[in-house]
Amino acid sequence: MTRPPDRRDEAAWLDEMLDDMAGADVPGPSADLMARVLADAVAQMPPPGGAPASVPLWRQIVRGLGGWSAVGGLVAAAATGFVVGLGGLETVGADALWLDTYYDSSSALDAFGWDYEEG
Amino acid sequence: MPLDTSPDTDDAALLARYGRGDAAAARSLTVRLVPRVHAQAYRMLGDTAEAEDVAQDAMMRLWKIAPDWREGEAQVSTWLFRVVANLCTDRLRKRRGGNVPLEDVAEPADPTPSVEVNLQTRARQDALRAALADLPERQRIAVAMRHFDGASNPEIAAALSISTEAVESLTARGKRALAHALKGQADALGYEG
Repeated sequence: MTRPPDRRDEAAWLDEMLDDMAGADVPGPSADLMARVLADAVAQMPPPGGAPASVPLWRQIVRGLGGWSAVGGLVAAAATGFVVGLGGLETVGADALWLDTYYDSSSALDAFGWDYEEG
Repeated sequence: MPLDTSPDTDDAALLARYGRGDAAAARSLTVRLVPRVHAQAYRMLGDTAEAEDVAQDAMMRLWKIAPDWREGEAQVSTWLFRVVANLCTDRLRKRRGGNVPLEDVAEPADPTPSVEVNLQTRARQDALRAALADLPERQRIAVAMRHFDGASNPEIAAALSISTEAVESLTARGKRALAHALKGQADALGYEG
């Protein structure tokens, strides 16, 4: 700390300043700090064997629905509904799926042919 | 506080053990790392209570990241050094309110020699801390690791994920910026002929 801070030995006085700081007395950590840090460590410590692996979303959904047996029931019910729907198509005809004008007004008029018979 | 019971085990391996629920590893890491972390925080802040808060905060972050820590990606000590440096910088900037110029850092005024020396030492350290806090993060960490932690260029390079060659340039830029920030006060702080 005896040099002027001119440009030539700028690094020297700055190094001296940094060295003074580095060499300054530093108190050790208190016993209280060590105890607090260790208490934090214990509080945050994962269970023995490590933290449980994260559960994928699809497994969470299956679990939320009640497990694989419940999912199986849902699939069976959906399949049954589909088959029943197909059976309905045999009655009305597959064209009902894409024809907007399936309803035939003339068949309503001659329903069972009673209207003609009655004159 | 018990001593480090695993002196031959490196920090990353201990952290992995802690991540698997090993309490003995937590004790060893605490004994090993807290003094270093606290010393770094104290040098940067100059206040025991604040240094303890920073040390506890930094260690808490380490405990939380332990289960996700990937061995070989970074050294625990350099990761902690960076965390502490950033926590200290936040505190220094808050302390200064972001607007107090370096010239306003207290200067020695007491005529009693021993008190004067103490105050001057304090003023120098405060001025240096304030100037360090204003450096860009990488420059600040490079300068602090080099001068306060005695870190080698490869260690600094690893901490900052840069090449060893880039460390020299980074440190030089940091010191030039420090010199520029402090040159107006060097005389008043006793760095004169």
